[in-house]
Amino acid sequence: MANSTWGSTPELLHQSSAKLKNPKKHNHYGFKDFFQFDPNRGTIVDWNNSQNVLTTEDFIIGLVEGLEEEVGEASAATMYTIGCDWGQKDAFFFEKWFEKEYDRPMRQTNLLFLLETWWWPFTAQGWGRWEIDLGDRKQGFMFINIFDSAVARTLGDVGKPVCFLYAGLFAGFFTELVKKQLSCIEIQCYSMGETYCKFLLGGQDRIDAASFWLNEGATARDIEKRLRSGELR
Amino acid sequence: MLSQIQRLSQETEGRYASDEELRFLVEYARSFELRVQTYQKIQAAEAQILQQVQAKMRSLDPTLFRSGNDDITNKWKRDTLRTLRYSAAAMLIDDPEALRERFLFWFQTIMRAFGAQKSCGVTYTVMQEVIKQHLTTSEASLILPILEVNRRMLGTV
Repeated sequence: MANSTWGSTPELLHQSSAKLKNPKKHNHYGFKDFFQFDPNRGTIVDWNNSQNVLTTEDFIIGLVEGLEEEVGEASAATMYTIGCDWGQKDAFFFEKWFEKEYDRPMRQTNLLFLLETWWWPFTAQGWGRWEIDLGDRKQGFMFINIFDSAVARTLGDVGKPVCFLYAGLFAGFFTELVKKQLSCIEIQCYSMGETYCKFLLGGQDRIDAASFWLNEGATARDIEKRLRSGELR
Repeated sequence: MLSQIQRLSQETEGRYASDEELRFLVEYARSFELRVQTYQKIQAAEAQILQQVQAKMRSLDPTLFRSGNDDITNKWKRDTLRTLRYSAAAMLIDDPEALRERFLFWFQTIMRAFGAQKSCGVTYTVMQEVIKQHLTTSEASLILPILEVNRRMLGTV
């Protein structure tokens, strides 16, 4: 399920009786709680009043392959840029709903809790579960694992990373969150025959280094090791 | 049970359900009174259960109620009360699947975010011992598996 947070309009409101009764309920990510289907208007609105659209795997294949046909190798960069834009806009959208739901400023919140809360709507929408490793953030980088990436799961084993939209989403969101330009690269992908996707988030120098190592045939584990030992090529 | 009913209605679209497919309903009907009775007992003993679990945990390891310099007893109480109520409701309607989907998957990530797995592990281990004192063996057999799922999902690192 895809969402369009910036496309939400004031008249699209999740107004199920469950939400009206318990507007502050935090565990609202079950399918029936999170989505409100309005068959008369043909809309699907989620708990945060964002409009959602159901898409098929054919749609995802069409999107990826169609873009490749149109712009060739630039399709990866295009998807990444779309993701960045989405992530940046979603950071503002998230700040609004988070502060309304939890009655506290986003920046005075336990970071891991904040991030889990940010990703939960994505999990509910079918973008996959995640695992975030903040262990290296003081060194200026971190890793995110995505299980069941909607894009990779759809495309299957094609022998190369395909989740550029996700990489862009993380880069855009975290850039807004920490108010510092960050980039992201997928260093391991389900579509390369791995069991899950792994993303590296950090400053451009580190992402460039990881990209170089990746092209040289390094694995995600090699890249983790090299970054942790302070290498930059 | 509600999840199973929904599945049954989808799977038997346009035909009658077999005896095998209806078995869970028969079993639920048989256990219904016991479920209501257990639910009401837990409801009546809620404060006591919580107090006993807290006391036992404090005797085992007082640091379970501290996070750095903060006393997190009230937070623990809120979280544990909420989980116990959801667990009792899941037992009443025999729907552990909905408990997982609507509560535990989310709560697991939140507990991990706060590094509370150890506390959760002890909480739901001790709660199983405590709740047995308030229920008969057959009543306990309905709620203990749910508390064990809570322990496994929330208390595992």
